[in-house]
Amino acid sequence: MLKNIQEWILLLSIFGILILLGNWLNYEIVPLSAIPGMIVLIGIALLGLVIQKMLPINLPTVAYVAIIGILISMPWMPGSERIVEWTSQIELLATTTPILAYAGISIGRSWADFAKLGWRTIIVASFVLLGTFLGSALIAEIILRVQGII
Amino acid sequence: MVDVKGLWKDWRLHTIVLAVVVITELIGNYEFAVGPGVVVLLPMLYAIIIGIILYFTPAIKEKQAKHAEPLIVLGVLLLIAKIGVVIGPSLPQIIAAGPALLLQEFGNLATILFALPIAIYLGLKREAIGMTHSVAREPNVGLIVDKFGFNSPEGRGVMAVYIFGTVFGAIFMGLISGFLATITPLHPLSFAMASGIGSSSMMAAASGSLIAAFPNFETDIIAFAGASNLLSLSTGLYMSIFIGLPLTEKLYQIITRRRHKEEA
Repeated sequence: MLKNIQEWILLLSIFGILILLGNWLNYEIVPLSAIPGMIVLIGIALLGLVIQKMLPINLPTVAYVAIIGILISMPWMPGSERIVEWTSQIELLATTTPILAYAGISIGRSWADFAKLGWRTIIVASFVLLGTFLGSALIAEIILRVQGII
Repeated sequence: MVDVKGLWKDWRLHTIVLAVVVITELIGNYEFAVGPGVVVLLPMLYAIIIGIILYFTPAIKEKQAKHAEPLIVLGVLLLIAKIGVVIGPSLPQIIAAGPALLLQEFGNLATILFALPIAIYLGLKREAIGMTHSVAREPNVGLIVDKFGFNSPEGRGVMAVYIFGTVFGAIFMGLISGFLATITPLHPLSFAMASGIGSSSMMAAASGSLIAAFPNFETDIIAFAGASNLLSLSTGLYMSIFIGLPLTEKLYQIITRRRHKEEA
């Protein structure tokens, strides 16, 4: 367990450095002011990993991470302003670039399978994604308008 | 949890990713008009494409590509942590928008009405059921393989869409979401909710384009997209089991029976 935690901290820190870098280069937030927020995010992810490993319930780690993140930043939680202020210094889009860089490298392995897909599959799969996206947006639009939110 | 032992030592991989991050973030966001709409290109899209290209260069060996996969999971945890702390303070708004958030989950079924007839029209047989019953992420693949078997037509269909989504999903969602939100009269917040289709990378790409196109709504877009994605992750499988798959099979029967009649 301790060994696991060490490895997780190392890897999350590598991600942290990559994120701070993108955050700085594209969104002009200097690493020094973004470090507290980054430490909070790494802490949340780590806690989620540890809880997942310790609890006998078989929930995915992302569920614990999401719940912890939401709980500590709720307006009713003492000290949440500080958490929100720190983490607001980390741009969401800076966190996604390194993830998708690793993803791209690993996707290369699926390329041979992808190249074998026929044109019909590509058309149908595009409509599958498009259909989900538009269908959900239409329903959301109707309900949000009925509720008077937009 | 996946095994990540010793992966921090793959400095070749981390250095290459560092270079990709520096290059893509320095290029920055790029927007261009297509007719009345706007297509947004984000560093994360360049990063996927550069990553795929690198796989075919000597810089990346099979080992690095294998190591990269479990690392995505850890990165996604940081993304979800960030989304969590955006959802927290927005919780009152999210609760207020609860009915829309819950009901738009049924929009995922629209893919069946939309894509199944096209698949059948293109001449696909029972593959079409696997392909169009859902967005074909891991839980849906599991369901189809469990019910029909991996080598069944349905199994091949769901795997085909799964592979498409894995390789091209984030790029596709990133390209269409900003564009659709700028050419249709629908509100960016509706598209934000629609972005949460149960895949973290597709959600990030779709909502990322929305943020770039509508920066004033940044916090709300992240909160609604993130909340909707969590809902999709937790309800998606049950949606497929109880509604999506039965509906697809029924519709498949109706459409193919009618075609057979016409042919006869």
